Amino acid sequence: MNRLISTQVSRRSVLGAGLATAGVLAMPSILRAQDKSLKVGVYGGYFKKSFDEHVFPDFTKATGIAVESVAEPTGEAWLVQLEQAAKAGQAPADLSMMSQTSTLKGQSTELWTPLDTSKFKHYGDLLPRFINKYPDGRVAGIGAVAWWITLVSNTDVYKEAPTSWAAFWDKANEDKLGLLALASNSFLLEVTAKTFMGGTNALDTEEGLNKAFEKLAEVKPNVRLWYRDEAQFEQALKSGEIPMGQYYHDVTGLAIADGFHVRTTFPKEGGIQDSGNWVLSRASTKVDEAHAFIDYMSQPSMQGVMSRKVGTTPTLKKEVLDLTPAEFASVSSDIEPIIPRYDLYTSKADWINQKWTELIVG
Amino acid sequence: MSGLDINAITKAFGNFIAVDNVRLNVPHGTFVCLLGPSGCGKTTLLRMIAGLEEPTSGAIVLDGEDITPLPTHKRNLGMVFQSLALFPHLSVGDNIAYALRIRGASKEEQKKRVDELLTLIHLPGFADRPVAKLSGGQRQRVAIARALALSPKLFLLDEPLSALDAKLREAMQVELRQLQQRLGITTIVVTHDQREAMTMADLVVVMGHGRILQAAPPIEIYRKPADAFVADFIGITNLLPAEVDSAGRTTILGTAIPGLAMPAGVTRASVSIRPEDVHLGQPGSRAITGQVTFVRDLGGTIETFVEVGSTSIIAVATPRERPNVSVGAKVGVTLPPESCVVLGS
Amino acid sequence: MRREAPKSFADYTPLLFPGLMLVVFFVVPFSTMIAVSFFKRNPAGFYTPDFVIDNYARFLTTFFAGVLGFSLMLAVLVAVCCVSIAFPFTYLLTKRSRRAQTLWLVGLLSVLSLSEVIIGFAWSTLFSQTAGITNLFVALGLMDKPVALLPTFGAVLAGMIYQALPYTILVLYPALVRLDPTLLEAARTLGASPVKAFFNVVTPALRNTIVATLIMVFVFALGSYLLPQILGRPRHWTLSVLITDQAIYQSNMPFAAAMAVFLVLISLALVGLTLLVGRRENAL
Ligand SMILES: Nc1ncnc2c1ncn2[C@@H]1O[C@H](COP(=O)(O)OP(=O)(O)OP(=O)(O)O)[C@@H](O)[C@H]1O
Ligand SMILES: [Mg+2]
Repeated sequence: MNRLISTQVSRRSVLGAGLATAGVLAMPSILRAQDKSLKVGVYGGYFKKSFDEHVFPDFTKATGIAVESVAEPTGEAWLVQLEQAAKAGQAPADLSMMSQTSTLKGQSTELWTPLDTSKFKHYGDLLPRFINKYPDGRVAGIGAVAWWITLVSNTDVYKEAPTSWAAFWDKANEDKLGLLALASNSFLLEVTAKTFMGGTNALDTEEGLNKAFEKLAEVKPNVRLWYRDEAQFEQALKSGEIPMGQYYHDVTGLAIADGFHVRTTFPKEGGIQDSGNWVLSRASTKVDEAHAFIDYMSQPSMQGVMSRKVGTTPTLKKEVLDLTPAEFASVSSDIEPIIPRYDLYTSKADWINQKWTELIVG
Repeated sequence: MSGLDINAITKAFGNFIAVDNVRLNVPHGTFVCLLGPSGCGKTTLLRMIAGLEEPTSGAIVLDGEDITPLPTHKRNLGMVFQSLALFPHLSVGDNIAYALRIRGASKEEQKKRVDELLTLIHLPGFADRPVAKLSGGQRQRVAIARALALSPKLFLLDEPLSALDAKLREAMQVELRQLQQRLGITTIVVTHDQREAMTMADLVVVMGHGRILQAAPPIEIYRKPADAFVADFIGITNLLPAEVDSAGRTTILGTAIPGLAMPAGVTRASVSIRPEDVHLGQPGSRAITGQVTFVRDLGGTIETFVEVGSTSIIAVATPRERPNVSVGAKVGVTLPPESCVVLGS
Repeated sequence: MRREAPKSFADYTPLLFPGLMLVVFFVVPFSTMIAVSFFKRNPAGFYTPDFVIDNYARFLTTFFAGVLGFSLMLAVLVAVCCVSIAFPFTYLLTKRSRRAQTLWLVGLLSVLSLSEVIIGFAWSTLFSQTAGITNLFVALGLMDKPVALLPTFGAVLAGMIYQALPYTILVLYPALVRLDPTLLEAARTLGASPVKAFFNVVTPALRNTIVATLIMVFVFALGSYLLPQILGRPRHWTLSVLITDQAIYQSNMPFAAAMAVFLVLISLALVGLTLLVGRRENAL
């Protein structure tokens, strides 16, 4: 949304919903008129640009399936659009890149066609966290892109890199932090649970959640900025105005490459790994083409291309990848990640949101 | 020395001189009418007296004190604007009491004075009316009362009656004059209307092109206009060419007027004679012969237009004074020398 | 001149377009919003037509009362500050030459073209420790070291006043230009100094304009949701921020709609109250 001032295109940045929809109607980028074709929804902005450049042409060459890429709007608007369209038997896109929370929400209405995993040659090499299943075990989505949210700091202000998320609670950091403003995109409850309560399972009960909230409340005096707009924090981090916080590993990497005095650290509790799935609308008739695409994308070589060209985290086991250690380190870490408890943001969404808002606003 | 002294006041707007070196002495208690055509600088002169406009040069002295450097609000004057400028958010009473309130007068004092003034302007009991709900004449009076609230030394009015219809205007002229005489306040009224000036003024000041052309009591202005401009501006007049013939007699339109003397050394001049002084009779050698071209019978008066050569002469008389003449008839025009004013050039 | 009352349908045609616009841009969206505010929320991100009052019930807590109270207070403060600054400023502007007036108005119009985002970022830079105005004060020797002036309530207020001021001036300008200058002159001849006359003649004579402008700025400020986020702390977030949160990030349209309806109703009530008080005073 609010990124007019942004100096570079963020990976997660997207056009406004209206604009994106207009774009869908006006300029479908069809690669080749062929019998077999597939409409693929990707996050607008950087991701769509990268996929149009590095992925779709090669896929068409390899399989003969033409791809029409569709820019998805932000938030849950795309989910709502898919749902409405499916009710009418339409699919604005066959395959879509979908956030974990939206994937779960779509599950509740059986919006996603279960995927036949036997058609994926490297299914066994996928990291379990990149397989999204219906409660009964059917596969609803396969990891598409993944990224990290890490502990970032300004190297002028912090000569020593912080090592733990606990730095957020350090009294010495009063009024120094920039954190994401929403429970469902900052994942700070999970960070709290992992750092102080032995793991995200502590959030299973309401009692555990309450405890996590209480602990999190102690961070408040240290927070200078609760941001929704990435550009706002990024600018402040670079200038040292807000010298520490949570931010995207990949974008911070670009800032370092540009010579800014910032660093990104995987804390010993692990970075936060967020990701999007490939999901297939139940209204789509292109089931075979969709499986072919997911299969193509899940090859180790493609995951290597993605990491090198787009900067995403591989969804496959490290062993099968063709990445050098340095390449791997730039997009991932061996430290076990903090996996967000997406289920909380569907089952207890309103309760958490309310408590969260009261926590930071109150 | 009491009264108002305007001492060589000049006002220039850029290159344009709106008021040009005006000198005028107004004795205390005098009612002055500033008269002149549009754009001649009347308003500008009045605003300089009020302090709303700063003179380019010259001084204004009131009762011996040079008030030129004083800001408006320290001059102790009352002013009525052409637009009246009543405060729309205040009632009649509050409008009138405004000056008292500014001075911090007590509520009782204010009320007493407001009642007094409302009686004076014949609007008793109007104090609580909103000004928007008054008739034109009533608003006029309220504006006057408001300006008089502090019994100012000087009362200035800029075309105060021009927005009223003819009947009401005449009534207000009389009222204003009576009010001024009762209060004995030095008053300057700007007007376009010479009748108005004649009705009210002790002293009529005729202006033209930023200068004072004549300042005199109304009857003198009427009877003895200083020049053709004043004569023409004040009432209707016949302006006729006069010259001295070889025999030394003064002639008008070729006919000698015995008893009319030209100033020494002048052989040609304009003569002004008011229509009511022109006599019409049978054509004869002692009269100017002309032909009647138009007769306008207004009931109370009859205006007769007589053409002599290319000059038109207007004569006015009551029906009783004049035997019927009809259009086309030949008449003899007689000009009594005592009514003829030889004008300066 | 007397005007005939419109009789046939054709007489109403001039009203057709504005009427249509009103329906399309106000009646329809607002009715939709009211309807949605009673719909049932489905946590999966959708809603189903229904008639439930949960969405309003959730809103009736001290927490939201606090946020609502803060939003109203902020909007009132912005309105009062804007009018207090803009009114004398615009008055003095109307006394300048035509050329100066035109230049000022063009300048103000160009400020209007700035989006809320740009204004927010400009002020956040201006108030920052690293690049802000306090560095200038340090250079001038007024301060020892640069400090951050945000996030603070003052920063939010400053940003919002900056954003609303051009509107305020442009709304006041026509009324002040049309104001009869002799009103002030009359007050001066009656013994009021120009400053006194400004306050007890010009200001009360334009009271209706001032009240209308206050209401306009109030409503305008109530809708601001970016500046409080960029320049303030979470406790300075307005109800509009929370509405945006619900609508965009939580996909909770029914709750967002309920909050919006509540905000509109409270604002309307306040505006009505203001007008009522104004009328009563006028009648006195
Ligand atoms: N502020 C001003 N700037 C420039 N010129 C002005 C200004 N005020 C008046 N003038 C000019 O000065 C001249 C005299 O104006 P003034 O208003 O005194 O005329 P007036 O005799 O009152 O005319 P009227 O009978 O039409 O009211 C006019 O030519 C007018 O255009
Ligand atoms: Mg005038």
